[in-house]
Amino acid sequence: MSTVLTIASDEWRYWVRSKLGAAVALLALIVIATSLFATMSQITSERLNRESLQVKAEETFRNQPDRHPHRMVHYGHYVFRTPAPLAALDPGVDPYTGTVIFLEGHRQNSATFSPSYDGAQAGPFARLTPALAYQLLIPLVLIIIGFGAVSREREAGTDRQLVTSGVSSTSIWAGKTVALAGVGALLLVPLLIGVIVSGATPVVSAAFLLGYGLYLLIWVLMISAASAWSKRPSTALLVLLAMWTGLSVLAPRLVASAANVAIPTASQIETDMDVLVSLRELGDGHNAADPAFNRLRANLLEQYDVETVEELPVNFRGIVAMTSEADLTEVLNEYAEKRMAKQAAQANFVRSLSSVSPFIALQASSMTAAGTDMRTHHRFLREAETARFDFVQGLNKAHAEKLSYTDDINRNNGEEASRRARVSAENWRVLRDFTFEPNPSGERLARMTPMLAVLLTWVISMGFIGFIGARRLPEVDNG
Amino acid sequence: MDSLIRELRFALRDPVVVLAMVAGALLSTFTVFSGLKEINAERAQIERVQQMVDSDRAYSLGDQSDAGSAAYYAFHFTYDPPSPLAFAARGVRDDLPWKHRIRMLALEGQIYETDIGNPELSRIGKLDFAFVAAFLLPLLLILLLHDLKAGEARNNRWTFLSANSGNGPRVLRGRALLRAGLMFACVMAPFAVAASISGASATSTFIVFGAVGVNFAFWTLLSLFVTARIDAGPTAAALLLGGWFFLAVALPVGGKLIAENAAPAPKGGELLLTQREAVNDAWDLSREATMTPFYERHPKWADAEPVSEGFDWYWYYAFQQVGDQTVEMMSRDLRKSVAVRDHVMGMISLASPPLLVDRALASAAQTDIVSFQRYDQCVRDFHAALRDFHYEMLFGNTKYSAEVMEGLPRFVPCSS
Repeated sequence: MSTVLTIASDEWRYWVRSKLGAAVALLALIVIATSLFATMSQITSERLNRESLQVKAEETFRNQPDRHPHRMVHYGHYVFRTPAPLAALDPGVDPYTGTVIFLEGHRQNSATFSPSYDGAQAGPFARLTPALAYQLLIPLVLIIIGFGAVSREREAGTDRQLVTSGVSSTSIWAGKTVALAGVGALLLVPLLIGVIVSGATPVVSAAFLLGYGLYLLIWVLMISAASAWSKRPSTALLVLLAMWTGLSVLAPRLVASAANVAIPTASQIETDMDVLVSLRELGDGHNAADPAFNRLRANLLEQYDVETVEELPVNFRGIVAMTSEADLTEVLNEYAEKRMAKQAAQANFVRSLSSVSPFIALQASSMTAAGTDMRTHHRFLREAETARFDFVQGLNKAHAEKLSYTDDINRNNGEEASRRARVSAENWRVLRDFTFEPNPSGERLARMTPMLAVLLTWVISMGFIGFIGARRLPEVDNG
Repeated sequence: MDSLIRELRFALRDPVVVLAMVAGALLSTFTVFSGLKEINAERAQIERVQQMVDSDRAYSLGDQSDAGSAAYYAFHFTYDPPSPLAFAARGVRDDLPWKHRIRMLALEGQIYETDIGNPELSRIGKLDFAFVAAFLLPLLLILLLHDLKAGEARNNRWTFLSANSGNGPRVLRGRALLRAGLMFACVMAPFAVAASISGASATSTFIVFGAVGVNFAFWTLLSLFVTARIDAGPTAAALLLGGWFFLAVALPVGGKLIAENAAPAPKGGELLLTQREAVNDAWDLSREATMTPFYERHPKWADAEPVSEGFDWYWYYAFQQVGDQTVEMMSRDLRKSVAVRDHVMGMISLASPPLLVDRALASAAQTDIVSFQRYDQCVRDFHAALRDFHYEMLFGNTKYSAEVMEGLPRFVPCSS
């Protein structure tokens, strides 16, 4: 064991002396620190903002003056998804989906404004979140530092000296691995600090860090394995660069393209057009004279045993608004669920291939821990939709019960008539407080487990390959 | 000539060289052809949606009897067709909107609508030729070139080579140039084929060749420079990869922060909120509160007697327009900031060949911010034409009729 540590500390000394390892590691730390700082300050301010905005939006809505209730249906309301603490480290899908939704009658809106709209275009690596820095760049840094660890000795013939002086080849490999793992651990420190600062629950934090720890360990073991198997450092470099490009750059993108091909989805505009066609059959809820509502009228007249809609004890226009909102929502939900199911199937397709690339497994586990995966966003969409339907129907109920039909149809006949076609602001209390809770820790952990298992399998395989490679060390040194 | 053939034979016998070349050719082939597939799918989609929107408009206009309802129910399809070179660089096409379904309502509420697709897949990103040519190729070149001198020294040929030809470094330079040249050919051949299939113009194809060539030259020269001074292959490689890391990652990350701080932009969310409130509030305001600012901007109709049929559509569309006017400055500032940020980023990219190539390819492919803003302006102009057309009926003397509606403006993509 002490031999292993001696070899490890020798390797560290070599890296420090050659300055290069130190320089690259320093550069990496600067990049990580920048991304941590930029992402965390942005998310934290947004988070504070969002909590106050949610309260403000609710207050604004409830403080609206007396109005025609249908005006409030269109006035609408905002709901905000306050990100979970770890979102600062891994914003996941948030920069694409946005975290604010505008709720209004007759429509299901998606995100209000794409956060990447005003971003400067700086290439594929510039949207560097701390998560991506660890997923993509730190392995490359480890490769630069470690690809020559064993093969360098072999090329120079120094491994033979070590072996003849009684050091086992396994110890050489283990020592180099420990040294590189030390670098990996050092590079993990900023993430650890980030996790502590974020204030996430200990269990989730631990699982989050475990994912990254396993992932870096995979790379450490892969690097020492490639280095042990290669006769020359340049071969090790070739293999490792190919692995990095293949596993972290190509595989996820190819799998994503495959998901798009295997499970095709229609564009938003096409879906919207289909929805429009389906809705047309329902009739326009603004127009009580629409023939689509003839039967509703007949039923109501019969139920209350009256001859005309004016005689009804309820406002027919309000009833129409209520009925058509319910019908319309059913159609909208059907399409929304179909779309979400397709997207979830695509995401599951990617996850099912996570054993191909630890990068995919780590991304999935990291987003799940941070509560920034698509599944969480879909739950937000559903909860927002429930909130939307509730407040719209609450207003429609006021429309039907608190505003007379006669006043309603005369609303456009001058100032006084318009004033009479209003209901009191009391009714704006239909709005319930909206809070979005992250998934419980237990559920998040359960969903992370398969991904962590994939990572662990990679760790074991890479360790095994390296171990076998190490045993080849003394025999091939004269090749 | 003999030495060229000899070097060629050397190169083709070296498994590392052959593997790297095959990898370069495969990546290039895959990206250009999946790019071609993608733009064909976009073209098909444009055609499909155009038909859907057209038949829907024909249907919904069928039973309209006044200009206001006609304008309310008629959707229009606007789009930015992919350029022949768009297969090579996706640029901003996955992040920013390139197609819209537009109505004559307030435009600011419609124009930011972006189809993000599946966010988990968007997050992974797409693999395009620009990514390969700008960011992955340097890695392949480093792999090919970092070891030339060290390899000769390892095989004890270096002393021989230097002594014999009296010019070892020149042989190695020639070797490096040849290998880089072979790699260039492997990567650009599939692109050239795809560009001709796609019918890209000679100029834009030439720009791509030039840009990728500059990237090649830069990394080849840098490799030669580093290996001339550092004999150990691993150290040279680590240094070159460190250089790649700095130019491809660190500089863009820092540059993006600088560019975005250089031009503060109004928050898009606030813009939408302000516009929406302006439109919503108008229902409860007096008519003058809407019509005065409207007539100020549209003096042509100030003295006209607007048409009132049941519902006062003219007032409705006036407050839609006034809603847009309310956020006009914000909207303009936002667009200006995006342009300034892009400009600053362009300056910064001069310091990073990979970034420069990435941006040059997006520009040649018309998938950059400049092209996006051209499309954005094109939609705004179309919306203005749409309003002018309907205002004639809402405020002017033109009577609504099916014949008049035949002159309904039709969106035509703006070319560069």
